[in-house]
Amino acid sequence: MDAVSQLQRQFVEHATSLYREGYLDDQFTQLQKLQDESNPDFVVEVVTLFFEDSEKLLNNLATALQQESIDYKQVDAHVHQFKGSSSSIGAQRVKNVCVVFRNYCDEKNLDGCLVCLQQAKNEYLLVRNKLEALLNLEQQILQAGGSVPMIT
Amino acid sequence: MAAKQHKRNYMISRSSSTPPMASFVKRLFGKIHSAVNSWERNHSPCRRRSLHRDVEQEDLQHINTNCLSSYYSVFVARLAIMVMLAILIGLLTLLTWHFTKVYTRTSLNALAYGLRYELLQRPVLRMWSILNSTVEITTAQVRLSEYVIRKYNRPENQAQQVELYEVMRDVTWALFASYRALNSITIKYKNGFVQAFHRDPRDNSTYYIYNDLTNYTMSGPYDVNMSSSHQGWNDQTIHSNISAIWYREPLDPNTGEKIGKQKAIPPDELINIAGISQVPYGAASWHVAVSKFTNSPLLSAAMPVWDESQGNIMAVVGVTTSLYSVGQLMKELVGFHSGHIYLTSQEGWLLATSSTTPLLTNSSTGPKLMMAVDSQDPVIQTGAKWLLKAYGNKPPPNHEVHIEHAKLGHQTYYIDSFFLNLKRLPMVGVLIIPRKYIMGKVDERAFKTLMILISASVCILIIGCVCIFVLTNGVSKEMKLRAELISHLDARRKAEASSNYKSQFLANMSHELRTPMAAVIGLLDILISDECLTNEQYATISQIRRCSTALLRLLNNILDISKVESGKLVLEEAEFDMGRELEGLVDMFSVQCKNHNVETVIDLSDDMPKVVQGDSARVVQIFANLISNSIKFTTSGYIILRGWCEDPHSCIENGKFSFDQKALWPAQKNKLIQQENQEKSSCKKDNRVILWFEVDDTGCGIDPSKWESVFESFEQADPSTTRLHGGTGLGLCIVRTLVNKMGGEIRVVKKNGPGTLMQLYLLLGTPVDMPLENYKLKYADHNLKVVLALNGSMCRMILSKWLFKTGVHTWEACEWNELTHILQELFIPSRYTQNLTYECSKVESISKQEMEVSVFIIVIDIGLLNLSTDIWKEQLNFLDIFYKRAKFAWVLNHDTSNTIKMELHNRGHLMMVNEPLYKSKMVQIMEAAIKEKMISLRHGILGGDTHEFLEIDNVHSDPESSNDSEKSELNCSTTGIVQVEETRRTRSSSRYGIVNNCFLELTEVCSERNKQGANETFPVSQEKRMQYAEKTISEQKSLKGVRILLAEDTPILQRVATIMLEKMGATVVVVGDGMQAVEALQTPSEGGMTTQTKMRVPPPYDLILMDCQMPKMDGYEATKAIRRAEMGTDLHIPIVALTAHAMSSDEAKCLEVGMDAYLTKPIDCKLMVSTILSLTKLQPNSLT
Repeated sequence: MDAVSQLQRQFVEHATSLYREGYLDDQFTQLQKLQDESNPDFVVEVVTLFFEDSEKLLNNLATALQQESIDYKQVDAHVHQFKGSSSSIGAQRVKNVCVVFRNYCDEKNLDGCLVCLQQAKNEYLLVRNKLEALLNLEQQILQAGGSVPMIT
Repeated sequence: MAAKQHKRNYMISRSSSTPPMASFVKRLFGKIHSAVNSWERNHSPCRRRSLHRDVEQEDLQHINTNCLSSYYSVFVARLAIMVMLAILIGLLTLLTWHFTKVYTRTSLNALAYGLRYELLQRPVLRMWSILNSTVEITTAQVRLSEYVIRKYNRPENQAQQVELYEVMRDVTWALFASYRALNSITIKYKNGFVQAFHRDPRDNSTYYIYNDLTNYTMSGPYDVNMSSSHQGWNDQTIHSNISAIWYREPLDPNTGEKIGKQKAIPPDELINIAGISQVPYGAASWHVAVSKFTNSPLLSAAMPVWDESQGNIMAVVGVTTSLYSVGQLMKELVGFHSGHIYLTSQEGWLLATSSTTPLLTNSSTGPKLMMAVDSQDPVIQTGAKWLLKAYGNKPPPNHEVHIEHAKLGHQTYYIDSFFLNLKRLPMVGVLIIPRKYIMGKVDERAFKTLMILISASVCILIIGCVCIFVLTNGVSKEMKLRAELISHLDARRKAEASSNYKSQFLANMSHELRTPMAAVIGLLDILISDECLTNEQYATISQIRRCSTALLRLLNNILDISKVESGKLVLEEAEFDMGRELEGLVDMFSVQCKNHNVETVIDLSDDMPKVVQGDSARVVQIFANLISNSIKFTTSGYIILRGWCEDPHSCIENGKFSFDQKALWPAQKNKLIQQENQEKSSCKKDNRVILWFEVDDTGCGIDPSKWESVFESFEQADPSTTRLHGGTGLGLCIVRTLVNKMGGEIRVVKKNGPGTLMQLYLLLGTPVDMPLENYKLKYADHNLKVVLALNGSMCRMILSKWLFKTGVHTWEACEWNELTHILQELFIPSRYTQNLTYECSKVESISKQEMEVSVFIIVIDIGLLNLSTDIWKEQLNFLDIFYKRAKFAWVLNHDTSNTIKMELHNRGHLMMVNEPLYKSKMVQIMEAAIKEKMISLRHGILGGDTHEFLEIDNVHSDPESSNDSEKSELNCSTTGIVQVEETRRTRSSSRYGIVNNCFLELTEVCSERNKQGANETFPVSQEKRMQYAEKTISEQKSLKGVRILLAEDTPILQRVATIMLEKMGATVVVVGDGMQAVEALQTPSEGGMTTQTKMRVPPPYDLILMDCQMPKMDGYEATKAIRRAEMGTDLHIPIVALTAHAMSSDEAKCLEVGMDAYLTKPIDCKLMVSTILSLTKLQPNSLT
């Protein structure tokens, strides 16, 4: 039990730090609330979907921005989608980068776009690491037989 | 210089005029010259001065040369006109003069000729008559002599002879005496005897002259034959008859009596005695003779006396007449008419003149006649000479000469001569009249006339010139002004163009600047959310963030201004709730105001239309600017936003204040009335209303002189403002342009007390048939009693006034002690007696019975509690006493701590509203109270103590939920009012924070809630409860049975939304793009509705959630397709847009294509559910 409470405390700490530092927002809490007996792996499922989707989108964006003549409309659509998915999962910082990214897209500012793409990648990787860590902790807690504490 | 030249020219043109005028002209000219000079002095410096200010040097020069050349041209034109005028007037003068002169002259000449003729004729006629009379007398003498001689024919003796002579003497005397003009009568008998009478004109004596008869022969002379008699009858015989002695005796001139002694006289004393020689042919003859007795020539005639029987001459009779009387006549004529007349014989001997000069010359042989050319009178002499010179010895036929201009000496004369052809004595009469006499006056008059004409014409010319000068002066001035006007217009056009460029430039620039600003702000956001920042860095970055936001706001302002200036601002026409917008605005600003210790109050009159048509964003912008302005300058006191509708009732209801304002805007009001009258007819159609607003603050105020200028761009009332408060001065300018754009006006009006009062009105449309809420009816019969325990005096006053008007009893308290006092008065009857105040006396009137029926509401400001210490808990305890008798409503601050809220909640005080308290919040509180009362009454009737239960239920609500959820809980029992309040707050904050449009959904939610409230169903609260306490209340699924089609391409969202919706009990079908969505609708069998029993066949789904950006077919297209398919049917499937765009344009676009609502990603669960509910529940309700 000690280990479980240890894990639980770790989990809470990690989660709160995520919220505090702005990696995640309320949306993620809501996702967690949606998870219940009927679909127990909902959060994991969604987060995994997000990862897949994001990587695909980031790749698309990278290729789109390397084109000789950049189709900003296309880029914008990608960024828009990225923004939608990141905001759905509550990845706030990724979403913020996307906002800036779209501004550059509107301006057709290639340098800005590239900078933003880099930032988006960084943010994505960060949030991915954090989320994976969080989910790992959750798994460990569940495996240890504890219940996942709610983060308010 | 020009004036000088002008003068010179003028002088030249005038110098031809007469010399006497010259000095006058000169003087006049001096005056004109000086006047022109002074004019020039007056004008040119002023022009120069005015130009000096803003025109450059070369411009000045250019204008000067321009002016100079125009000056010259004007002068040339003037000169030409003047010269023409001069010529015209000169010609007129000359012609007038000429014609008058010529005509008078000819007529005068004719007259003068007649006069001259007449003058000359008269002496000639006199001459003629003298000759005639002489001849007649001679003839008479001859006849008498013949008779006498015949009678005494042949005298036989001496006695008879003597008798004959005596008779002859008597007869002759009779004749002589009868003609006084006669000089002498002589009779010379054949025998040599001579009888003669003679008058001496010198001494007017008359003599009888005879010779003695001694040596005459009686026979001798009588026997002479013809020849001898001839010899004997010559003059020599008489003179040579020296032997004879001549006697002379003086006679009385009248009687002829002898008065003196006869005296012998020498022969040279003798007068001329006509002899036989003078009648050589026996006929009468005459000639001009001279005598020493008279100084005038004598005319003597001689006639023989024939003896008929013998045929020889018996005697010779001679008669002499003096021509003196002719001269006398001439003198008379000349004396009357002036001039000279003389008569000459044909040979030129002078016979008579009008002058007094002697006509005879004394030569050695006695007096002799003189020639006219030798006359001593100079005029006659020169005249005769002139004639002689002109005609010589060949006078013209008839001797008639008429000469008008004979220059004699220094004068000109008329010379006229007539010829009088007498037998043997032809005569010539000459008349010399000085020309001056006849034409003198005429010539003088002509000269005078000429003078007068010339002077008159000169005067006219001068006046004309002056007129021309004045007129042309005006014209040239006008020309100058016109030129100036043209240049000004040009300058203005340029200025306008440049201002236009400026606006364009500003618009472009600020737009260009905005884009990088957005990026800067976004990047700053990223930076702020970075974890590895030190505190210092964080502070700096937040500062930068704030500055950037301010800069962006400034840019937006400039953009707004330039948009308005370039006329590109187009106002929307959409319905919105004016009251709610303004309340939200006040909510927002009240937070800011709290820090300033300023009370923000909104006071909208009841007659304001609830929904108006217009551009809500712009209206809000107007008031946001005004209020933020007021806040900026108000450090203490209050800010009131008043609003009322232009209507006679509202004027009265608003009380004296608005009346005062109306009085201050009389012109405005008149204009409005006119406007209203004009629009009265149209008013019916488009329902325009005039909404009046006032923003009243107690700040530093604006100086009255700046009341107009504060609305100008970049204008601030006080230059130090920028230092103190910042700002650009664009705010009010934007406000005014917006207000004007909405058909209104804004101005600062006079206010009693410190501060500023801005008054404005807007002309906005209202939808037709808006029912006015009549609060009076609503509350009066519920018997509401309200205790207002509020800190803010203004707010309290306004609310109580309104409540009083709607028929609600109110008591006011501004501090805790007062409140306790009132409460005790009200609820503890034992203390009735102690109270004397008005309120208390009113309290007394409330009977016990009434107490039970009426609803008490106590509105308490949280600020009344002593929060600094723990006393507030005791205060709450005190209030608990009244808990069951009254409803408590708490007014919270935005910074009220959670512990207090919790405590209140625990004690069962569930109605809480945030500051500021205003009408609609009050309405909600009262409605909640009434509702609760109704419920409790109903429960009371049923018998169960449900009131108690409700309280317990409330107390048992989840303690760890947030403030929001707490309120949601509250809504379970109080019909969701505070929920509305909460949503409003979120709305307002989101609306005015970042651009985030959830407005529509919210309004829908609100309306929905109201409906639900009316139906006494509480789906929202149920849903909430489910959300937060899902495990316990799993049965209650708010969306149970709702079939939803989700069109979303992102798998994450698909998943999330599906789970969310399914948790609510909804059935969800997911499709990947718009195309599939459309297809799914067309083929209902595809929908997975197996679990649900189908109530209605079409449509297969109750609602569609549609992502906007999807591959293949995006949300907009899909919606359009669906709406097309629905066309012609009654069906209208609600479509809710899901989009990550957060722009208002997107919302508009969504609604435009036919969507019903609009949700932003990330999906807010509450919001989504409420939206879905509002759209799905609405339909069955309306259908069934």
